[in-house]
Parts: sequence; C-alpha cells; structure tokens
Amino acid sequence: MMDGGAHTHRATAAWDSSSLPVPVDHLRSMRAESPTPGLVEGTEPGAGQRSTMFIHAQSFEDLTAEAEEEALRAADTAGEECAAEELKALIEEKNIQEQHKNHLSTEARTREEDVSSDAWRSHKKHVFVLSEAGKPIYTRYGTEEALSSTMGVMMALVSFVEAEKNIIRSIHTDGCKVVFLTRSPLVLVGMSQCCRSDKELLRELNYIYYQIVSLLTLTQLNHIFQHKQNYDLRRLLAGSEYLTDSLLQRLDRDPGLLLSAVTCLPLSSNARDVVSSSLQAAKSKSLVFSILLAGNQLVALVRKKDQFLHHIDLHLVFNLVCSSSSFREGEGWTPICLPKFNTAGFFHAHISYLEPASELCLILVSTDREDFFNMSDCKRRFLERLSVRSAYQALKEALKCPSYSVDQVGIPELRHFLYKSKSSRLYTSPEFPEVYQSYEEQERLMVLYQDLHSCVTHPTRPLHSFYRCGETENLLARVTSGFELYLCFTPLSTKAMAVSAVTKLLKWIRKEEDRLFILSPLTY
Amino acid sequence: MSGMRVDVKVVMLGKESVGKTSLVERYVHHRFLVGPYQNTIGAAFVAKQIQVGEKCITLGIWDTAGSERYEAMSRMYYRGARAAVVCYDLTDKRSFERASFWVKELKTNEELCQIYLCGTKKDLIANDRHLRQIDYHDAQDFAEEIGAQHFETSSKTGNNIDELFQKIGEDYMSSEMELMPAEEPGVDLNQKKNSYFYSCCLSN
Repeated sequence: MMDGGAHTHRATAAWDSSSLPVPVDHLRSMRAESPTPGLVEGTEPGAGQRSTMFIHAQSFEDLTAEAEEEALRAADTAGEECAAEELKALIEEKNIQEQHKNHLSTEARTREEDVSSDAWRSHKKHVFVLSEAGKPIYTRYGTEEALSSTMGVMMALVSFVEAEKNIIRSIHTDGCKVVFLTRSPLVLVGMSQCCRSDKELLRELNYIYYQIVSLLTLTQLNHIFQHKQNYDLRRLLAGSEYLTDSLLQRLDRDPGLLLSAVTCLPLSSNARDVVSSSLQAAKSKSLVFSILLAGNQLVALVRKKDQFLHHIDLHLVFNLVCSSSSFREGEGWTPICLPKFNTAGFFHAHISYLEPASELCLILVSTDREDFFNMSDCKRRFLERLSVRSAYQALKEALKCPSYSVDQVGIPELRHFLYKSKSSRLYTSPEFPEVYQSYEEQERLMVLYQDLHSCVTHPTRPLHSFYRCGETENLLARVTSGFELYLCFTPLSTKAMAVSAVTKLLKWIRKEEDRLFILSPLTY
Repeated sequence: MSGMRVDVKVVMLGKESVGKTSLVERYVHHRFLVGPYQNTIGAAFVAKQIQVGEKCITLGIWDTAGSERYEAMSRMYYRGARAAVVCYDLTDKRSFERASFWVKELKTNEELCQIYLCGTKKDLIANDRHLRQIDYHDAQDFAEEIGAQHFETSSKTGNNIDELFQKIGEDYMSSEMELMPAEEPGVDLNQKKNSYFYSCCLSN
C-alpha cells in the first residue's frame, strides 16, 4: 500500500528475509560513474554498500490489504452515489443540532472551532478517528464532542454495509472523497476536497492509525475495547493530539512520507563514518537502535544485527521528536511502540539533545524499561568518543548548511527534484528555489509530486515514465527498479531537455552520493 | 552531569498541566517558558547539584508525565525515591483530589519517601483571589495528617521554589546523619549504597 505496484513483484517473497536486497559483490563493481536509467536495484546512486538500514519488503499485512482492496474496489463503486447524498444530508442536519451543544460545552480547547461553520466545512482535508462503538477519538478540526453525532453516522454507514457482508471503502461525490479504513478496534475516516486518489488518503489514515498504536500498543487497545466497548479513548490519548496534528501536516509537506524514505544531513563520509562508529561503540545489551537526528534529517542510524527499522516507525519517531518541546528539558525516557516492528509491546527510548540549543537529537531505543542510566551512559560515551575524534566540529559545521541549492547540479531549467534510492530507502532533494518560497507554493508543488507519485506507483497500471506540461512548471517522473526520480522544470523547458536532464542529474548524484546518503550503515 | 552520582532521587507527581515541568524548568534552568502548553512525553530526568551546609549533594529529578496513559509506568519513576513533590494546581480542585491519589500510592508502596505537597500557580491567585479553589489551611491540615511538608509556589515568579528543593536537600542530609554511625564518620558506606551510579562499571 505504501508503494504500490512498483513493488508487487516482490510480494511473494515478502516473508523471506532473503528478499532484503543486500547488494552482492559483483553488483558493487557495477557502480558506474555515469549511471544510466537502466540500473539494477542495489547499484543506483545512494544504494547502501554493505546492507540496508531499513526493512524492505512491505509487511505481510500491507500486501494482503492491497490485494484485498483491489478485488473489492470494483464491487464497491455501485450504489455509492445515493449513500453519499444521504451522508451529506445527514451531516448537515446533525450540524445544526450540534451547534447548541457546542455552545454549552465548557471545555476550553484551542482547537475549538464551530463545526457548523463554513470555515470548518471548507477545510481541504478532514480526518476522523472513532471507536467501533462510534465514540469519537480524534478530529483534525473542531472538537470531538461536537462531532459525536456525525461520527455516529459514519459508524452507522460502516456497520450498515458490514451487515450485508461487505466493506465500505469510499464514497465519491462531486469534488469530495470520503475514505473509510477499519482497523479494529478503530475506524478511521478521511475526507478530501482535493482530487487525490483513495490510495493517498488511505496511506494517511494508516499513518494516523500507527501513530495511535505507537502511543498505546495494539495489545492495550484491544484489551481496553474488549473489556469496555464504550470506552472513551480520549482519556488515554489526552495531550497527544498535537502529535497527530503535526503528523497530518507532515503528510502534506514532507516528501519522505510520500516516498516512504528518509533524507540525510549532507555530511562528508569521513565525518559520518566517525559518528556511526562512535554510536556503534556506545552499545549496551538492551540497545536496539541508535538514531542521531538533525531536525528532520537523519545523521546516522546504527542497529542491532538482524533487527531492522521500518521507515514508518522512523517517521513516527521523527514526528515525536520534532513536534515535542519536552525533550529539551532534560533527558527524556519514554515508552514507545514501533508498530511496524511489533504492535504488541513498548520499547523505551532515551531521547536527548546533544547540547541545550543544538538541533542534534540522539534517540537510543532500548528493550528494557529499567535501563535509563545505562542509556544515559551510552550517550556520554558516544559524546566522549565523538569529541575526541574532532568529528563533532565537522558535524556542527555541516549543520550550518543542512541543504543545498539545485544550482549545484548545473542544469539551468531544473528547479527542484526528489530522488529516492529504492534499495537504501533514502532520498535527497535540494532546498526550494525562489519561486517556491511561500508555504502555499511549496504545498502546491507537493500536490503535483503526489499526483506523479500515484501515477508511477499505481497498483495495477504503474507508469515508468511520465511527463507533464503545465502553465507554471513542467514535471517528469522516472521510475526504474533502482530508483524513483521526480523533477520539476521551468515552464519554458522542453521534453527533450527534461529527458537529457535525467542522465546529467544521476551523474551528479553519483558524484555526491558519499555526502548525501548513508552508504555504509553499521550494526552492533 | 555525566559520570557523577545522584544522592537524592526526587520524583515530581501530579495531575497533568498542574505545572510540574514549569517547576523543574524554573528550578534548574531559571526560566519560565510562556507559550502553548505541551504535555511531557514519558518522563524527563535532570540532575542538579545543591549546597547543603558544607556538603554538596546532587538531586536527580524525575519529571513525570501527568497523563493517564503513563500511569502504569509511574511506579518505575517513584521506586526508591527519597523525595516526592506531589503537585496540585491552586486553581483546580480536581488536581488536589489527584494529589491525594498519589499520596496514597506513595504511602502504600514507598514508605521511606518523604512527601512534599506543593500548590502551584500561586501568581494566578495573587492577581485574582477568587481563583483559589484549595484553601491554604485545608492543604496544610492534609499535609500534617500525612506527615508531609507543604509549599505554595509560583514558577512564573520563582516564589518558594528554591526553598522547596533546599528543604528536600536539608531533610535528606539530616536523615543521613541519623543513619550514620556516630563513631565512624570517616567512611560513608551507607550513602554509597543508597545512591545511583552513572559509572560504566555497572552498565555491562
């Protein structure tokens, strides 16, 4: 579901750890200076040289869900139109009733917003989470109390279709999509007014689901609802709404979540190797992952041998760290479930910034909740080692220019690009140029990239190459078994220019790959 | 702060948004952050050295999250604590009820832990007396009943905060004095046993 058709050929081998594309030696010698688009996975620029850091194959659950969904989709579409009309009418009716309730509500929340107002309705995207009993758990806008009847209607729709031994997937109306995702014991509903595919919305709903699981574990969720179907989950989630809010913002803005990949802080390979080996040396029995972040960028990741981190889990960690101020206070110690690793239990994360005002944040993921002081000691050892080798200074220098300009590539028509190495699950992208400085423009470009992405990762009819001419920019998407590349050109460029730019850009990325990617990830 | 010893484990407990983090921020970093409220994730640890008489001791302060979600974890944070600062918001009656829950919890599980009952956000009632929901004398009576110390503080102005932690340090020192054998003041084995170590010798 996260990647669509481009990966389906691996579906059958998804269980088998041998499907992890560890580049074999003979492939390494094929790392050409001027890579061509025909590269095999594992030899593309940015591909790891030893092994990959991230788990590769999608989980079994993702793969089956996708197949299931496709099979059902055809059956779904009929009869939806009238249901949609009903829903619309119901929502409007309910909203009037809710208005009074809303005024009576004494709870003062910053997210307070009149759910019957036009402003509320005109939000481009809504996300609702409810329990299977129809109890509200989360809404992006407005308060859950005010929406309890609306969510009741949503649950009624889900149960109504379920009673016919069927599953409601989505409702399409003029300019509006409503997508349903049932992940027992939760039901998630997404509504979008921009013309995105159902798949994009589903991907976002899945992220929200994992966000909630990461706070509570699935075991705890199931346990709660088995004992009390009517439980108000907001009690347990109190104070975590901002995490979900910020995750939704990321989903709109962060290319990493779109590409299922992570970006790295540009850093000389020497300095990065020292950072990685210092992390590697500061190990402890219970330590599973050591992650060093600089804002939204990965600096280094060292993992226990044979344990892999899923990119979704890493994005949840990014979201937790970047949107919380609480870790600036001292050394944080928190239970965290990494749902793609294991939904049943908590890891315990030691989270702290290397210096009070620094962007560098170290996350040490341990299996033992009593191991705080050991983790604290690992951090101390890491810092000691780092400063002795003077790599700390190099790291601080690198932080001063965390991004690069597209001008460095030397293709005048090129404005911006996203390049993802499929085998390492790392991506690189330059900073936004002048024309995309405003928040709105950046979001608009992201929507364009999302459209390209859904075309090239279409579950049944994926495209390998896609050129799109627009009034404000021209776009090209190019996908091979080794990489995904999305380019944005000035509107005056031509298709021929765009095609030749691919080779030139790949050459440049190959030249810079030491700096832009983590080529030799370590384990302990 | 690395590689050093923590003499007194102090744990902050109380309902969410009573201002435990602000209290620690004021005490350790001498600042008061104005801005949207954000709850603590899990718990945060800070160490702070203080001077008590002629001795320098280190407080290891655990600032715990107040959310119900982390309640199951709380035992881990207060286990072996010498001092617990149980906070309530002077303007929130329910937070006082929650405080008595924590007191009960500590009394049953950590007999040796000295409790410091702490009313927060005193500056709010200084501005408007009607906001006060917990009477000073009621809290004082409750504190006496449970054998706790009672403080009212303001993290915004810093009122009474240094005094609170200083008292924790002094109480620790005097209880250590009692425990120490009077004839052999030279070797301090008890103290060593009772403290946590950062040293790497214990880590593997």
